[in-house]
Amino acid sequence: MAFGASGGRGGFGGRGRGGGGDRGGRGGGRGGGRGGAVRGGGVRGRGGGGGRGAPGGRGGRGGPRGGRGGRGGGPKGGSNVILEPHRHPGVFIAKGKESLLVTKNLVPGESVYGEKRISIDGGVEGTKVEYRVWNPFRSKLAAGVLGGLDNIFIAPGKKVLYLGAASGTSVSHVADIVGPDGIVYAVEFSLRSGRDLINMAKKRTNVIPIVEDARMPTKYRMLLSQVDVIFADVAQPDQARIVTLNAEHFLKDGGHVVISIKASCIDSTSPPEVVFAREVETLQNNRFKALEQVPLEPYERDHAMVSAVYLRHKAKKNA
Amino acid sequence: MLVLYETAMGYCLFKMSDSVTKMEESQVRKEFESPESANKLQLKALHRFTSTATAVEDMTAIQEGKLGPGLKKFLTDEVVGKGKGKDSLLVVDKHLATSISKKLSIKVAASDSEYEEIWRGIRSQLAALLDGLDPKDLATMSLGLGHSLSRFKIKFSPDKVDTMVVQAIALLDDLDKEVNIYAMRVKEWYGWHFPEMAKIIVDNIAYAKVIRAMGFRTNASSTSLASILPEDLEAVLKAAAEISMGTEISDSDMEHINSLCEQVISISAYRTQLSEYLRNRMTAIAPNLTALVGELVGARLISHAGSLLNLAKHSASTVQILGAEKALFRALKTKHDTPKYGLIYHASLIGQAPPKLKGKMARMVAAKAALSTRVDALADSDEKSAADAPSIGIGHRAKLESRLRALEYQDGASGVRRFGDHSQKQQKFQMSGEAKLYNTQADLVPTQRESPMETAIKVVLDVKEEKKRAKEERKAKKKAEKEKAQESVDAMDVDGEEKEEKKKRKRRESDVNGEAEEDATKQETEEERKARKKARKAEKAAAASAQTNGDSTKKKKKKSDA
Repeated sequence: MAFGASGGRGGFGGRGRGGGGDRGGRGGGRGGGRGGAVRGGGVRGRGGGGGRGAPGGRGGRGGPRGGRGGRGGGPKGGSNVILEPHRHPGVFIAKGKESLLVTKNLVPGESVYGEKRISIDGGVEGTKVEYRVWNPFRSKLAAGVLGGLDNIFIAPGKKVLYLGAASGTSVSHVADIVGPDGIVYAVEFSLRSGRDLINMAKKRTNVIPIVEDARMPTKYRMLLSQVDVIFADVAQPDQARIVTLNAEHFLKDGGHVVISIKASCIDSTSPPEVVFAREVETLQNNRFKALEQVPLEPYERDHAMVSAVYLRHKAKKNA
Repeated sequence: MLVLYETAMGYCLFKMSDSVTKMEESQVRKEFESPESANKLQLKALHRFTSTATAVEDMTAIQEGKLGPGLKKFLTDEVVGKGKGKDSLLVVDKHLATSISKKLSIKVAASDSEYEEIWRGIRSQLAALLDGLDPKDLATMSLGLGHSLSRFKIKFSPDKVDTMVVQAIALLDDLDKEVNIYAMRVKEWYGWHFPEMAKIIVDNIAYAKVIRAMGFRTNASSTSLASILPEDLEAVLKAAAEISMGTEISDSDMEHINSLCEQVISISAYRTQLSEYLRNRMTAIAPNLTALVGELVGARLISHAGSLLNLAKHSASTVQILGAEKALFRALKTKHDTPKYGLIYHASLIGQAPPKLKGKMARMVAAKAALSTRVDALADSDEKSAADAPSIGIGHRAKLESRLRALEYQDGASGVRRFGDHSQKQQKFQMSGEAKLYNTQADLVPTQRESPMETAIKVVLDVKEEKKRAKEERKAKKKAEKEKAQESVDAMDVDGEEKEEKKKRKRRESDVNGEAEEDATKQETEEERKARKKARKAEKAAAASAQTNGDSTKKKKKKSDA
């Protein structure tokens, strides 16, 4: 983490924060192929922000990344990151040395799981808006966005039911996207992960943590209102059933579901394509109309993201 | 018809016209399409939770399908008290429905899919139905309730006792790893000072203890190791210390080695303490499982399943291969045979079984383990603490042991004869008259114990020889590397050298061989000499006698020749 720290300190916008740097390094390391997060920051930090961590940092950083971009140096300070809105509302692309997927931080000044943050000048002089880097290797939804989903249906102001929230890393980004006017109901069964989820939700008032089994929607019926979107990342053999059950209770007519399917979790003996097709068919039989399917390569192996629309008037078929 | 609807804010009781229940699904949907059209329902009563604590209490009751105090009061006041007991009440959860109808004798209707559309409708038009309730208010309420319910759930988690076992077994594994790493380091380090000791004391802990007691090997003769080592080993060690070939090390080196030894000893002491704790916990949590497979395997199974209750939900076949998931999925994918055992392999019952029966035994142990786990998981806590709590597990174990013996006998016997094979019937016993004598040759003759000095010398020589061998190997490797390096520079040159070297090697070999041969020839010549002498003597005698009798000489000569 030594070299991560140097990059982090130079960081985007040159805010002198020490602690975050360490985590920034971690995010980059995991990013592997992309890993743009850390590099972009580091380069700029060296070029503009003054070489506080530069000498030590350069040697260390050159190694894992094949030395590329180590010498080029950012021409100016942190201001050369250009923010562009993504096709999906609420998601942005930070174009610096490399393009990064970012979401607007709902709680400025804090990372949730050690991800990089980028501060960019706001519309008014002197104000800064903070964005958090969204790593597609850690979040399947981000992988789906980069994989080219036409519509993720999660947008500012929407109400989202997030099944399989885990520790709340992806949930925090979804909360960023829906913004203060939206609500994210985050359902996670595991107590251990639920603990982290609650801690994350403490900071974000638009996240309602629910530590319950997603198979039994009646157990948390009193907490939910009707939702616009269900996002499911539960990796269970009966995933389609879980989604259907929740949709029956909470999803509005014409609402959408976005599901990440891990083929090996459903059936490890059949080829992934067959598994995906079977899951989509199950959805079709339960009043859904499948819209699109995107593989999550290269971020995840044998995963697909499927989106569908819920049509209550459609007849239910018993397969 | 009355409808009970729960929100984070409180309970709502609606009056719904009966026509809705008879409607088609699509019609109901149309009813609830807009706030204006949703007029078939009227709010009759509202019960707000007074505080978060009461809300959590009521909601946890509802989650389990029970009647919370708030709901009970609300229903008695609003339904029974106002004489609406004859009206049927519609509830989402059927478990809750049964408990309401039992406790309050209200006619309750609940069904999974029949009223689905009504519930969906209420949910979608809740703001309008509650007379312009701000949805934001409701959101804040559910946020608060969501947090407190989740916190409550984590705080009063039912399998917190299992977590202790899971953590303990994980720590036990970590400690084992750590002790091993440290002990290896101690041996490596102290080995420079006293290389022979690693050969003499194999046990890691004893090794560390000896170092702590002795320090430098020169102190060996003056320290008593009686509390650490058996007598003969101690003598061997002391003798080896006298003639050790280890290097000298300084006091500061010794200090660090000593502190490392302290680590090893303290960690291993803690490990025994921890395993004692684990045993106690396991016998308290899962007495039958522990009796059947032992506390280590039992704890590993629980840790793999997550909790005892989770393990109880697993089928016996799953229990059998728990821990061999990788092999299982590989086998399923490639359509090979699935694994026969996972974690359960380390159970002593399976360890006892001969290799051929291990799979069979694993299956039976898994079946019994699954049963025992269910008993343990679902028994009352006071039942578990009774003295005869593990009786089922012990019974299973005895059964399995006898079954194993039977199988082993069958297996062993089948190699000799088959059932129904009448030709090889056991013959009737008859006295044959031949007395069988006791075979003294079969007795184990105790060899004389070697003196400690001798063993010490042997160890020293062993170590020396090993080092020599290692050195030679290293040299040979170096040479080979050199050769390779030179080969790349100039192939021709190396050829010559190689030949030279071969010659050298040959010469060396022949030297060695020659010596041996020389020895052999010496012995041979001596024998030959003797034989020749004899022959000469015989010839002389023959010559002498030949002078007297020519015929006889010929005969004698023939004899000597022969």
